[in-house]
Amino acid sequence: MFRIYPKILTILACISMALMAIGQYAIWFHAPEEMTMGLVQKIFYFHLPLAWWSFVAFFGVCAASVMVLWTGREQWDVLAGVLAEIGVLFSGLALVTGSLWGRAAWNTWWTWDPRLSTTLVMWFVYAGYLVLRSADVGGTKGAKVRAVLGIVAFLDVPLVFLSARLWRSIHPAVLASKGGGLEPEMWTAVWINVLAWGAMFGTLVLARYHGAGLKRRVEAALIGIQEKTLQ
Amino acid sequence: MNYLFIANVCIWLGVGGYVLFLARQHSVLERRVRQLEIIDGNE
Amino acid sequence: MIASSLAIARKDLRLAFAGGQGPVQAVLLGLLLVFIFSLSAAPGEHFSAQQAMAIFWLCSSFGVVLIFSLLFRFEEENDTATALLLSPLPVQGLWLGKTLAGLILLLLCQVFFFPAALVFLGLDPGDNLSGLVLMVLAVDVGLCVLGGLIGAMGQGQGAKDALLTIIVFPLQVPLLLGGIRIGVGLMQGTAMAGVSDWFGLVLAFDAVFAGAALFLFPHVFRGE
Repeated sequence: MFRIYPKILTILACISMALMAIGQYAIWFHAPEEMTMGLVQKIFYFHLPLAWWSFVAFFGVCAASVMVLWTGREQWDVLAGVLAEIGVLFSGLALVTGSLWGRAAWNTWWTWDPRLSTTLVMWFVYAGYLVLRSADVGGTKGAKVRAVLGIVAFLDVPLVFLSARLWRSIHPAVLASKGGGLEPEMWTAVWINVLAWGAMFGTLVLARYHGAGLKRRVEAALIGIQEKTLQ
Repeated sequence: MNYLFIANVCIWLGVGGYVLFLARQHSVLERRVRQLEIIDGNE
Repeated sequence: MIASSLAIARKDLRLAFAGGQGPVQAVLLGLLLVFIFSLSAAPGEHFSAQQAMAIFWLCSSFGVVLIFSLLFRFEEENDTATALLLSPLPVQGLWLGKTLAGLILLLLCQVFFFPAALVFLGLDPGDNLSGLVLMVLAVDVGLCVLGGLIGAMGQGQGAKDALLTIIVFPLQVPLLLGGIRIGVGLMQGTAMAGVSDWFGLVLAFDAVFAGAALFLFPHVFRGE
C-alpha cells in the first residue's frame, strides 16, 4: 500500500522541473516589470503559488484526517503528516518572501494583511501539529487524536481570516492593496508558476510519502525480528 | 533588487534543503531495510 | 445528557477544590504574568487599553491550559476513564461536563485577573460593565470548548501542558482578537452595535468548535 511506483515519481519530477524552467522564463523574460514597485514585484510569482499550495496542503491534512476517522486506515494518517510537513515548508517560505516583499516595496517587515496574518497563524498551528505528531501524543489512539487535530486546525482557517480582516479594518491600511490589475503577461506568468509549484508540491508529497512507507517497512521488519527472537 | 535575490535564495535553499533531507532519509532507510531483510531471512 | 453533564461538572469541581487546590496554579500563574508584564512599562507610564486587554486574555489562555490539564488528570488515576466510558453516560456528555467545570474555574480565575489588571496595568473598565461581562462569557465559552477537546488529547502524556499550549494558542487567535477588540471598544465607550461584528465572530467560533467537539470528542477520548 505504500509502494509508489518509482516511474510515476520520476515522471512527475521531470514535469515539475520542466514547468519550473518555463515558469522562470515567464517571470524573468515574459512578464514585464511592474510600474510602481519595479523588479522586486517579481517576488509575487513565488509568493502566491507557495501560499496557495500551502493552503491546499492544509486542506489535504483535513481531508486525510477525515479519512482516518472514517476508514481507520494508517495510510491516511501518514499522508496527513506528509501534507502538514510540506504545508509548513511552503507557508514558511510564503511568509519569508511576503516579508521581504513588504520590506522592499513599503519599507516595513510586516504588514497586518489578512492573508499574510492568516498564513502566519496557520504556520503556527501546523508547526504545533507536527511537534505533537513527533511527540506521539495520544499513545495507542494516536492516529485518531492526530486526525481530530488535523480537522480542528483547518476549521480554524476561515475564522482566523475573518478575525484578521476585521482587525485590520480598524487600523488604517499601512499600505495599498497588492497593486492594481496585472498585465495579461503577468497573469500568464502567475498561472504557469502556480502549475509549476503544484507539480513540485505533488513530487514532494509523493517522495515523502514513499519515505514514510519505507520507514513503516523498517519498523515492521524490526518487530518481526523481535518476535522471532522472543520465541 | 537585493531583496529579490535574498527571496530567491531562501526559496531554493528551503526547497533544496527539504529535497536533500528526503534523499538522505531514503538512502538511510533503504540500507536499513536491506540489512533487516537479510537478518530476517537468516533467522 | 444535560443532567449527566452537570453531574460530571459537579464531580470535577468538587475534586478540583477537594485538596484545597482548585485553580490555584492557574490564578498564581496569571497574577505573575500580569505583574511581569507590568514591568515592561516605566514607573508612571501607562498601558494602553489594548495592551492591558491583551495581557488579560493571555493570562486567561494560560489558565485554560492548566485548568483542563487538571480536569483531565482526574481520569488518569485508577482507570476511571474506562469506568466513565462503560457508564451509560454519552461520551459527549463527558465533554460538556468538563467544559462546564472548566468555564466555572476560568471565570473564577478571571475574578482575580481583572482587578490585577486594574491595579498593575491601569485598566479602566469604563461604564459598560454588563457588556464586558457578556464579552468575557462569550470568549470564555470558546476557550473552554476548545480546551475541553484539546485537553483530552494530552491524557497520559508527561509534558502535555507544554505540548498542548503550542497547538491551543494559535487556534485561539480569533477569540483573543475578538476579546481584545470588544473589550477595548466597550471600555472606550463604543456601543454594543459598534462591536457586533466581533461578537458575531466570537459566537461563530463558539458554535463551530462546540459542534466539532461534540462530533470529534468520542474519537479523542474513546479512541477505538
